[in-house]
Amino acid sequence: MDKKFRLLVIDDNEEILTSLKSFLSKKSYDVVSASNGLDALKLIEAATDDFDLVITDLVMPNISGVAVTAIIKKQNPKMPVIAITGYGEQPEALAKEVHADIVMEKPFKLDQLEKAIKRLLSI
Amino acid sequence: MSRPIIGVSENIVKIREVINHIADTGLNTVICGESGVGKEVIAQSLYQKSSRNGKPFIKVNCAALPDGLLESELFGYEKGAFTGADRKTRGKFELANKGVLMLDEIGDMSLSLQAKLLHVLQGGAFAPLGSEKEFKTDTWVIAATNHELEKEISEGKFREDLYYRLNIIKIYIQPLRERPEDIPHLIDYYLKEYSLLFNSDKIIQPSDTVIDELTRYPWPGNVRELQNILKRMLVLGDAEKILDEMNSRNSMTGTSSDGSTSDTQAMGYKGILDFNGKDSPDEPTFSLKTIRKTALDRVEKEVISHVLGKTGWNRSKATKILKISYKTLLYKISDLGITPPAKAD
Repeated sequence: MDKKFRLLVIDDNEEILTSLKSFLSKKSYDVVSASNGLDALKLIEAATDDFDLVITDLVMPNISGVAVTAIIKKQNPKMPVIAITGYGEQPEALAKEVHADIVMEKPFKLDQLEKAIKRLLSI
Repeated sequence: MSRPIIGVSENIVKIREVINHIADTGLNTVICGESGVGKEVIAQSLYQKSSRNGKPFIKVNCAALPDGLLESELFGYEKGAFTGADRKTRGKFELANKGVLMLDEIGDMSLSLQAKLLHVLQGGAFAPLGSEKEFKTDTWVIAATNHELEKEISEGKFREDLYYRLNIIKIYIQPLRERPEDIPHLIDYYLKEYSLLFNSDKIIQPSDTVIDELTRYPWPGNVRELQNILKRMLVLGDAEKILDEMNSRNSMTGTSSDGSTSDTQAMGYKGILDFNGKDSPDEPTFSLKTIRKTALDRVEKEVISHVLGKTGWNRSKATKILKISYKTLLYKISDLGITPPAKAD
Protein backbone atom coordinates (compact mmCIF):
# COMPACT_ATOMS: atom_id res chain seq x y z
CA MET A 1 0.00 0.00 0.00
CA ASP A 2 1.82 3.14 -1.22
CA LYS A 3 -0.63 5.74 0.04
CA LYS A 4 -1.47 5.76 3.73
CA PHE A 5 -5.26 5.88 3.88
CA ARG A 6 -6.87 7.89 6.65
CA LEU A 7 -9.75 6.28 8.49
CA LEU A 8 -12.18 7.72 11.04
CA VAL A 9 -13.35 5.06 13.49
CA ILE A 10 -16.32 5.84 15.80
CA ASP A 11 -17.55 3.64 18.65
CA ASP A 12 -18.79 4.45 22.16
CA ASN A 13 -17.44 1.14 23.44
CA GLU A 14 -13.89 1.93 24.48
CA GLU A 15 -12.72 -1.68 24.26
CA ILE A 16 -13.96 -2.11 20.70
CA LEU A 17 -12.56 1.28 19.68
CA THR A 18 -9.11 0.42 21.06
CA SER A 19 -9.04 -2.97 19.38
CA LEU A 20 -10.18 -1.56 16.01
CA LYS A 21 -7.62 1.22 16.25
CA SER A 22 -4.78 -1.13 17.11
CA PHE A 23 -5.69 -3.62 14.36
CA LEU A 24 -6.05 -0.99 11.64
CA SER A 25 -2.88 0.86 12.69
CA LYS A 26 -0.96 -2.41 12.40
CA LYS A 27 -2.36 -2.74 8.89
CA SER A 28 -0.71 0.62 8.09
CA TYR A 29 -3.82 2.80 8.09
CA ASP A 30 -3.71 6.25 9.59
CA VAL A 31 -6.47 5.93 12.21
CA VAL A 32 -8.35 8.78 13.90
CA SER A 33 -10.88 7.73 16.54
CA ALA A 34 -13.94 9.26 18.21
CA SER A 35 -15.93 7.83 21.10
CA ASN A 36 -19.21 9.56 20.22
CA GLY A 37 -21.14 11.05 17.32
CA LEU A 38 -20.60 14.67 18.35
CA ASP A 39 -16.80 14.36 18.45
CA ALA A 40 -16.91 12.54 15.11
CA LEU A 41 -18.85 15.37 13.47
CA LYS A 42 -16.40 17.91 14.90
CA LEU A 43 -13.47 15.95 13.45
CA ILE A 44 -15.17 15.72 10.07
CA GLU A 45 -15.87 19.46 10.04
CA ALA A 46 -12.29 20.25 10.96
CA ALA A 47 -10.88 18.00 8.28
CA THR A 48 -13.19 18.27 5.29
CA ASP A 49 -12.44 15.60 2.69
CA ASP A 50 -9.48 14.53 4.75
CA PHE A 51 -10.78 11.06 5.58
CA ASP A 52 -10.76 8.28 3.02
CA LEU A 53 -13.27 6.10 4.85
CA VAL A 54 -15.45 6.13 7.97
CA ILE A 55 -16.27 3.16 10.22
CA THR A 56 -19.08 3.90 12.65
CA ASP A 57 -20.99 2.08 15.34
CA LEU A 58 -24.73 2.65 14.89
CA VAL A 59 -26.27 2.73 18.36
CA MET A 60 -24.62 5.51 20.38
CA PRO A 61 -26.02 8.09 22.80
CA ASN A 62 -26.88 11.62 21.56
CA ILE A 63 -25.87 11.49 17.90
CA SER A 64 -26.26 7.93 16.61
CA GLY A 65 -24.16 6.31 13.89
CA VAL A 66 -27.22 6.48 11.65
CA ALA A 67 -27.18 10.28 12.08
CA VAL A 68 -23.41 10.45 11.49
CA THR A 69 -23.79 8.39 8.30
CA ALA A 70 -26.71 10.50 7.05
CA ILE A 71 -24.80 13.75 7.67
CA ILE A 72 -21.61 12.47 6.00
CA LYS A 73 -23.47 11.15 2.97
CA LYS A 74 -25.38 14.44 2.58
CA GLN A 75 -22.16 16.43 2.58
CA ASN A 76 -20.08 13.99 0.59
CA PRO A 77 -22.04 11.10 -1.01
CA LYS A 78 -18.80 9.49 -2.23
CA MET A 79 -17.30 9.06 1.23
CA PRO A 80 -17.29 5.32 1.96
CA VAL A 81 -19.00 4.39 5.25
CA ILE A 82 -18.94 1.02 6.99
CA ALA A 83 -21.61 0.74 9.70
CA ILE A 84 -21.17 -1.78 12.50
CA THR A 85 -23.80 -2.83 15.02
CA GLY A 86 -24.71 -5.42 17.57
CA TYR A 87 -28.34 -4.38 17.92
CA GLY A 88 -29.97 -6.52 15.24
CA GLU A 89 -31.88 -5.71 12.11
CA GLN A 90 -33.59 -2.40 13.04
CA PRO A 91 -30.43 -0.26 13.11
CA GLU A 92 -29.04 -2.21 10.14
CA ALA A 93 -32.09 -1.32 8.02
CA LEU A 94 -31.82 2.34 9.04
CA ALA A 95 -28.11 2.39 8.10
CA LYS A 96 -28.95 1.06 4.63
CA GLU A 97 -31.64 3.73 4.25
CA VAL A 98 -29.08 6.46 4.85
CA HIS A 99 -26.76 4.79 2.31
CA ALA A 100 -24.09 3.19 4.46
CA ASP A 101 -21.97 1.28 1.92
CA ILE A 102 -21.50 -1.83 4.02
CA VAL A 103 -23.31 -2.87 7.22
CA MET A 104 -21.51 -5.39 9.42
CA GLU A 105 -23.04 -7.23 12.34
CA LYS A 106 -21.03 -7.56 15.55
CA PRO A 107 -19.20 -9.73 16.34
CA PHE A 108 -17.22 -9.91 13.09
CA LYS A 109 -13.73 -11.07 12.26
CA LEU A 110 -11.23 -8.25 11.85
CA ASP A 111 -10.10 -9.82 8.57
CA GLN A 112 -13.65 -9.37 7.27
CA LEU A 113 -13.48 -5.71 8.15
CA GLU A 114 -10.16 -5.33 6.35
CA LYS A 115 -11.60 -6.99 3.27
CA ALA A 116 -14.54 -4.56 3.31
CA ILE A 117 -12.18 -1.57 3.66
CA LYS A 118 -10.02 -2.76 0.77
CA ARG A 119 -13.07 -3.30 -1.40
CA LEU A 120 -14.40 0.21 -0.75
CA LEU A 121 -11.00 1.84 -1.25
CA SER A 122 -10.33 -0.31 -4.34
CA ILE A 123 -6.98 -1.53 -3.06
CA MET B 1 -39.15 34.34 20.05
CA SER B 2 -38.27 31.24 22.00
CA ARG B 3 -36.23 31.10 25.17
CA PRO B 4 -32.49 30.57 25.05
CA ILE B 5 -31.06 27.42 26.61
CA ILE B 6 -29.75 28.69 29.94
CA GLY B 7 -26.98 26.99 31.87
CA VAL B 8 -23.29 26.28 32.27
CA SER B 9 -23.47 22.60 33.29
CA GLU B 10 -21.76 19.97 31.15
CA ASN B 11 -25.18 18.60 30.19
CA ILE B 12 -26.48 21.94 28.91
CA VAL B 13 -23.22 22.85 27.15
CA LYS B 14 -23.30 19.51 25.31
CA ILE B 15 -26.97 19.95 24.36
CA ARG B 16 -26.17 23.34 22.80
CA GLU B 17 -23.34 21.74 20.83
CA VAL B 18 -25.53 18.87 19.62
CA ILE B 19 -28.23 21.34 18.51
CA ASN B 20 -25.71 23.40 16.55
CA HIS B 21 -24.51 20.31 14.72
CA ILE B 22 -27.78 18.63 13.88
CA ALA B 23 -30.48 21.33 13.73
CA ASP B 24 -30.41 21.51 9.96
CA THR B 25 -30.42 17.79 9.26
CA GLY B 26 -34.13 17.13 9.82
CA LEU B 27 -33.23 13.78 11.39
CA ASN B 28 -35.79 12.28 13.77
CA THR B 29 -35.07 13.35 17.30
CA VAL B 30 -36.16 12.31 20.78
CA ILE B 31 -35.87 14.71 23.71
CA CYS B 32 -36.00 12.98 27.11
CA GLY B 33 -36.14 14.26 30.64
CA GLU B 34 -38.36 14.63 33.69
CA SER B 35 -41.42 16.87 33.59
CA GLY B 36 -40.59 20.55 33.68
CA VAL B 37 -36.94 20.33 32.51
CA GLY B 38 -37.65 22.32 29.36
CA LYS B 39 -38.06 19.81 26.53
CA GLU B 40 -40.10 22.27 24.45
CA VAL B 41 -37.37 24.91 24.78
CA ILE B 42 -34.94 22.43 23.20
CA ALA B 43 -37.42 21.55 20.43
CA GLN B 44 -37.97 25.26 19.68
CA SER B 45 -34.25 25.85 19.59
CA LEU B 46 -33.75 23.00 17.10
CA TYR B 47 -36.50 24.47 14.93
CA GLN B 48 -35.15 28.02 15.08
CA LYS B 49 -31.64 26.99 14.14
CA SER B 50 -32.88 24.95 11.17
CA SER B 51 -33.82 26.08 7.69
CA ARG B 52 -37.42 25.20 8.68
CA ASN B 53 -37.55 28.32 10.87
CA GLY B 54 -40.55 30.39 9.80
CA LYS B 55 -42.46 27.32 8.62
CA PRO B 56 -45.08 25.78 10.95
CA PHE B 57 -44.08 24.49 14.39
CA ILE B 58 -46.93 22.36 15.69
CA LYS B 59 -47.04 20.64 19.06
CA VAL B 60 -49.34 17.76 19.91
CA ASN B 61 -49.59 16.32 23.41
CA CYS B 62 -50.10 12.58 22.90
CA ALA B 63 -51.16 12.09 26.53
CA ALA B 64 -53.91 14.71 26.42
CA LEU B 65 -56.20 13.05 23.88
CA PRO B 66 -57.89 9.65 23.72
CA ASP B 67 -56.57 7.30 21.06
CA GLY B 68 -59.18 7.85 18.33
CA LEU B 69 -59.12 11.59 18.73
CA LEU B 70 -55.33 11.70 18.61
CA GLU B 71 -55.36 9.72 15.38
CA SER B 72 -57.78 12.14 13.68
CA GLU B 73 -55.81 15.06 15.13
CA LEU B 74 -52.56 13.76 13.62
CA PHE B 75 -53.77 12.53 10.25
CA GLY B 76 -56.99 14.48 9.65
CA TYR B 77 -60.21 13.05 8.23
CA GLU B 78 -62.56 13.16 5.29
CA LYS B 79 -66.17 14.30 5.59
CA GLY B 80 -68.25 11.33 6.81
CA ALA B 81 -65.21 9.33 8.02
CA PHE B 82 -66.97 8.82 11.36
CA THR B 83 -70.09 10.03 13.17
CA GLY B 84 -69.73 13.73 13.66
CA ALA B 85 -67.17 14.24 10.88
CA ASP B 86 -69.32 16.78 9.09
CA ARG B 87 -66.49 18.38 7.17
CA LYS B 88 -63.03 17.52 5.89
CA THR B 89 -60.37 18.41 8.45
CA ARG B 90 -56.62 18.60 7.92
CA GLY B 91 -54.37 16.77 10.38
CA LYS B 92 -51.26 18.04 12.12
CA PHE B 93 -48.98 16.08 9.76
CA GLU B 94 -50.43 18.05 6.85
CA LEU B 95 -50.39 21.36 8.72
CA ALA B 96 -46.76 20.85 9.80
CA ASN B 97 -45.59 20.06 6.26
CA LYS B 98 -42.13 21.61 5.65
CA GLY B 99 -42.00 22.47 9.33
CA VAL B 100 -41.77 20.67 12.67
CA LEU B 101 -44.25 18.40 14.42
CA MET B 102 -43.44 18.04 18.09
CA LEU B 103 -45.01 14.90 19.55
CA ASP B 104 -44.98 15.50 23.28
CA GLU B 105 -45.42 12.59 25.72
CA ILE B 106 -44.80 10.04 22.93
CA GLY B 107 -44.44 7.33 25.58
CA ASP B 108 -48.19 7.60 26.20
CA MET B 109 -49.14 6.83 22.59
CA SER B 110 -51.04 3.54 22.10
CA LEU B 111 -49.34 0.64 20.30
CA SER B 112 -51.81 0.80 17.39
CA LEU B 113 -51.13 4.50 16.84
CA GLN B 114 -47.39 3.86 17.19
CA ALA B 115 -47.71 1.46 14.22
CA LYS B 116 -49.39 4.20 12.16
CA LEU B 117 -46.74 6.74 13.13
CA LEU B 118 -44.03 4.27 12.14
CA HIS B 119 -45.66 3.92 8.72
CA VAL B 120 -45.49 7.70 8.19
CA LEU B 121 -41.88 7.88 9.33
CA GLN B 122 -40.87 5.01 7.05
CA GLY B 123 -42.52 6.25 3.90
CA GLY B 124 -43.14 9.93 4.52
CA ALA B 125 -46.80 9.42 3.57
CA PHE B 126 -50.10 9.21 5.43
CA ALA B 127 -53.78 8.79 4.66
CA PRO B 128 -56.42 10.85 6.50
CA LEU B 129 -59.21 8.82 8.14
CA GLY B 130 -61.80 7.83 5.57
CA SER B 131 -59.44 8.51 2.65
CA GLU B 132 -57.83 5.92 0.41
CA LYS B 133 -55.38 8.41 -0.99
CA GLU B 134 -52.00 8.87 0.72
CA PHE B 135 -50.42 12.29 1.04
CA LYS B 136 -46.69 12.91 1.06
CA THR B 137 -45.38 14.91 3.97
CA ASP B 138 -42.02 16.51 4.67
CA THR B 139 -42.34 16.97 8.40
CA TRP B 140 -39.50 16.94 10.90
CA VAL B 141 -40.72 14.86 13.82
CA ILE B 142 -39.32 15.79 17.21
CA ALA B 143 -40.65 13.51 19.95
CA ALA B 144 -40.44 14.23 23.66
CA THR B 145 -40.98 12.00 26.65
CA ASN B 146 -40.49 11.74 30.39
CA HIS B 147 -40.72 7.94 30.16
CA GLU B 148 -37.74 5.62 29.84
CA LEU B 149 -38.52 4.28 26.39
CA GLU B 150 -36.01 1.42 26.75
CA LYS B 151 -37.97 0.20 29.78
CA GLU B 152 -41.27 0.66 27.95
CA ILE B 153 -39.93 -1.56 25.15
CA SER B 154 -39.03 -4.34 27.57
CA GLU B 155 -42.54 -4.09 29.06
CA GLY B 156 -44.10 -4.29 25.60
CA LYS B 157 -45.53 -0.76 25.79
CA PHE B 158 -43.38 0.83 23.10
CA ARG B 159 -42.45 -0.54 19.66
CA GLU B 160 -38.76 -1.26 19.25
CA ASP B 161 -38.79 -0.43 15.53
CA LEU B 162 -40.37 2.98 16.23
CA TYR B 163 -37.83 3.59 19.00
CA TYR B 164 -34.87 3.08 16.66
CA ARG B 165 -36.48 5.18 13.96
CA LEU B 166 -37.10 8.10 16.31
CA ASN B 167 -33.86 7.74 18.23
CA ILE B 168 -31.55 8.91 15.44
CA ILE B 169 -30.74 11.85 17.67
CA LYS B 170 -31.37 11.64 21.40
CA ILE B 171 -31.14 14.65 23.66
CA TYR B 172 -31.33 13.94 27.39
CA ILE B 173 -31.92 16.89 29.73
CA GLN B 174 -30.80 16.19 33.28
CA PRO B 175 -33.13 17.10 36.15
CA LEU B 176 -32.30 20.43 37.78
CA ARG B 177 -31.11 18.76 41.03
CA GLU B 178 -28.29 17.09 39.05
CA ARG B 179 -27.06 20.40 37.61
CA PRO B 180 -27.39 22.93 40.47
CA GLU B 181 -24.71 25.13 38.87
CA ASP B 182 -27.37 26.17 36.32
CA ILE B 183 -29.79 27.45 38.97
CA PRO B 184 -28.25 30.93 39.63
CA HIS B 185 -28.17 31.55 35.85
CA LEU B 186 -31.81 30.50 35.49
CA ILE B 187 -32.79 32.75 38.44
CA ASP B 188 -31.02 35.71 36.87
CA TYR B 189 -32.62 35.16 33.46
CA TYR B 190 -36.18 34.60 34.66
CA LEU B 191 -36.18 37.42 37.23
CA LYS B 192 -35.23 39.85 34.46
CA GLU B 193 -37.92 38.41 32.17
CA TYR B 194 -40.65 38.47 34.81
CA SER B 195 -39.73 41.97 35.99
CA LEU B 196 -40.43 43.17 32.46
CA LEU B 197 -43.59 41.08 32.30
CA PHE B 198 -44.99 42.43 35.56
CA ASN B 199 -43.78 45.97 34.82
CA SER B 200 -41.73 46.01 38.00
CA ASP B 201 -39.85 49.28 38.46
CA LYS B 202 -36.66 47.52 39.36
CA ILE B 203 -35.30 44.04 38.96
CA ILE B 204 -35.27 42.29 42.31
CA GLN B 205 -31.88 40.89 43.18
CA PRO B 206 -32.26 38.11 45.73
CA SER B 207 -29.68 37.94 48.51
CA ASP B 208 -26.83 35.45 48.31
CA THR B 209 -28.51 33.42 51.07
CA VAL B 210 -31.72 33.13 49.06
CA ILE B 211 -29.83 32.15 45.89
CA ASP B 212 -27.87 29.62 47.93
CA GLU B 213 -31.06 28.11 49.36
CA LEU B 214 -32.70 27.98 45.94
CA THR B 215 -29.59 26.27 44.56
CA ARG B 216 -29.67 23.62 47.28
CA TYR B 217 -33.40 22.88 46.89
CA PRO B 218 -33.98 19.62 44.93
CA TRP B 219 -36.63 21.06 42.53
CA PRO B 220 -38.83 18.00 41.96
CA GLY B 221 -40.80 20.09 39.42
CA ASN B 222 -37.56 21.22 37.73
CA VAL B 223 -37.34 24.52 35.79
CA ARG B 224 -41.13 24.91 35.67
CA GLU B 225 -41.27 24.87 39.49
CA LEU B 226 -38.40 27.35 39.68
CA GLN B 227 -40.26 29.67 37.27
CA ASN B 228 -43.40 29.52 39.44
CA ILE B 229 -41.46 30.24 42.63
CA LEU B 230 -39.67 33.21 41.04
CA LYS B 231 -42.97 34.64 39.83
CA ARG B 232 -44.37 34.32 43.37
CA MET B 233 -41.28 35.96 44.86
CA LEU B 234 -41.62 38.84 42.46
CA VAL B 235 -45.33 39.33 43.13
CA LEU B 236 -45.33 38.72 46.89
CA GLY B 237 -41.82 40.00 47.59
CA ASP B 238 -41.33 37.73 50.62
CA ALA B 239 -38.57 35.35 49.61
CA GLU B 240 -37.94 34.03 53.13
CA LYS B 241 -41.56 32.98 53.62
CA ILE B 242 -41.71 31.27 50.25
CA LEU B 243 -38.47 29.42 50.98
CA ASP B 244 -39.84 28.22 54.32
CA GLU B 245 -42.99 26.93 52.61
CA MET B 246 -40.91 25.14 49.98
CA ASN B 247 -38.70 23.47 52.55
CA SER B 248 -41.67 22.49 54.65
CA ARG B 249 -43.47 20.97 51.64
CA ASN B 250 -40.29 19.21 50.65
CA SER B 251 -39.81 17.68 54.08
CA MET B 252 -43.46 16.57 54.10
CA THR B 253 -43.00 14.64 50.85
CA GLY B 254 -39.77 13.11 52.15
CA THR B 255 -37.73 14.18 49.17
CA SER B 256 -34.05 14.38 49.99
CA SER B 257 -31.60 16.68 48.27
CA ASP B 258 -30.84 13.97 45.71
CA GLY B 259 -34.52 13.77 44.83
CA SER B 260 -35.03 10.31 46.28
CA THR B 261 -37.53 9.48 48.98
CA SER B 262 -36.21 8.45 52.36
CA ASP B 263 -35.89 4.78 53.18
CA THR B 264 -38.14 5.10 56.19
CA GLN B 265 -40.96 6.44 54.08
CA ALA B 266 -40.48 3.81 51.41
CA MET B 267 -40.33 0.94 53.90
CA GLY B 268 -43.18 2.04 56.19
CA TYR B 269 -43.21 0.78 59.76
CA LYS B 270 -40.98 -2.15 58.83
CA GLY B 271 -38.10 0.30 58.44
CA ILE B 272 -38.79 1.77 61.89
CA LEU B 273 -39.34 -1.35 63.96
CA ASP B 274 -37.27 -4.50 63.85
CA PHE B 275 -39.72 -7.27 64.67
CA ASN B 276 -37.05 -9.92 64.25
CA GLY B 277 -34.62 -8.16 66.59
CA LYS B 278 -34.86 -5.92 69.62
CA ASP B 279 -38.50 -4.94 68.94
CA SER B 280 -39.62 -8.56 68.79
CA PRO B 281 -42.75 -9.49 70.81
CA ASP B 282 -40.55 -12.20 72.36
CA GLU B 283 -38.46 -9.59 74.14
CA PRO B 284 -39.29 -9.22 77.90
CA THR B 285 -39.61 -5.41 77.57
CA PHE B 286 -42.14 -5.69 74.72
CA SER B 287 -45.50 -3.96 75.22
CA LEU B 288 -47.66 -1.74 73.02
CA LYS B 289 -46.70 1.22 75.17
CA THR B 290 -42.92 0.70 74.85
CA ILE B 291 -43.22 0.00 71.13
CA ARG B 292 -45.27 3.16 70.61
CA LYS B 293 -42.57 5.21 72.38
CA THR B 294 -39.77 3.52 70.39
CA ALA B 295 -41.54 4.06 67.04
CA LEU B 296 -42.42 7.66 67.88
CA ASP B 297 -38.85 8.47 68.91
CA ARG B 298 -37.42 6.98 65.75
CA VAL B 299 -39.91 8.82 63.49
CA GLU B 300 -39.32 12.10 65.33
CA LYS B 301 -35.57 11.64 65.03
CA GLU B 302 -35.90 10.99 61.29
CA VAL B 303 -38.20 13.99 60.70
CA ILE B 304 -36.17 16.44 62.82
CA SER B 305 -32.86 15.29 61.25
CA HIS B 306 -34.39 15.72 57.80
CA VAL B 307 -35.67 19.23 58.51
CA LEU B 308 -32.36 20.26 60.10
CA GLY B 309 -30.57 18.91 57.04
CA LYS B 310 -32.82 20.97 54.79
CA THR B 311 -32.24 24.16 56.78
CA GLY B 312 -28.50 23.59 56.97
CA TRP B 313 -28.89 23.14 60.77
CA ASN B 314 -30.50 26.55 61.09
CA ARG B 315 -32.49 25.79 64.25
CA SER B 316 -34.73 28.89 64.05
CA LYS B 317 -35.89 27.94 60.57
CA ALA B 318 -36.36 24.32 61.67
CA THR B 319 -38.64 25.38 64.55
CA LYS B 320 -40.85 27.30 62.11
CA ILE B 321 -41.16 24.27 59.81
CA LEU B 322 -41.72 21.82 62.69
CA LYS B 323 -44.00 24.29 64.48
CA ILE B 324 -42.35 23.66 67.87
CA SER B 325 -40.60 26.04 70.27
CA TYR B 326 -36.84 26.60 70.17
CA LYS B 327 -36.52 25.06 73.64
CA THR B 328 -38.42 21.92 72.59
CA LEU B 329 -36.20 21.54 69.54
CA LEU B 330 -33.00 21.77 71.63
CA TYR B 331 -34.43 19.19 74.05
CA LYS B 332 -35.36 16.82 71.19
CA ILE B 333 -31.91 17.17 69.58
CA SER B 334 -30.28 16.19 72.84
CA ASP B 335 -32.81 13.52 73.89
CA LEU B 336 -32.94 11.75 70.54
CA GLY B 337 -29.17 12.02 70.00
CA ILE B 338 -29.38 13.97 66.74
CA THR B 339 -25.96 15.08 65.55
CA PRO B 340 -24.97 17.37 62.68
CA PRO B 341 -23.47 15.60 59.64
CA ALA B 342 -19.67 15.42 59.63
CA LYS B 343 -18.12 17.96 57.30
CA ALA B 344 -16.27 16.58 54.26
CA ASP B 345 -13.18 18.62 55.01
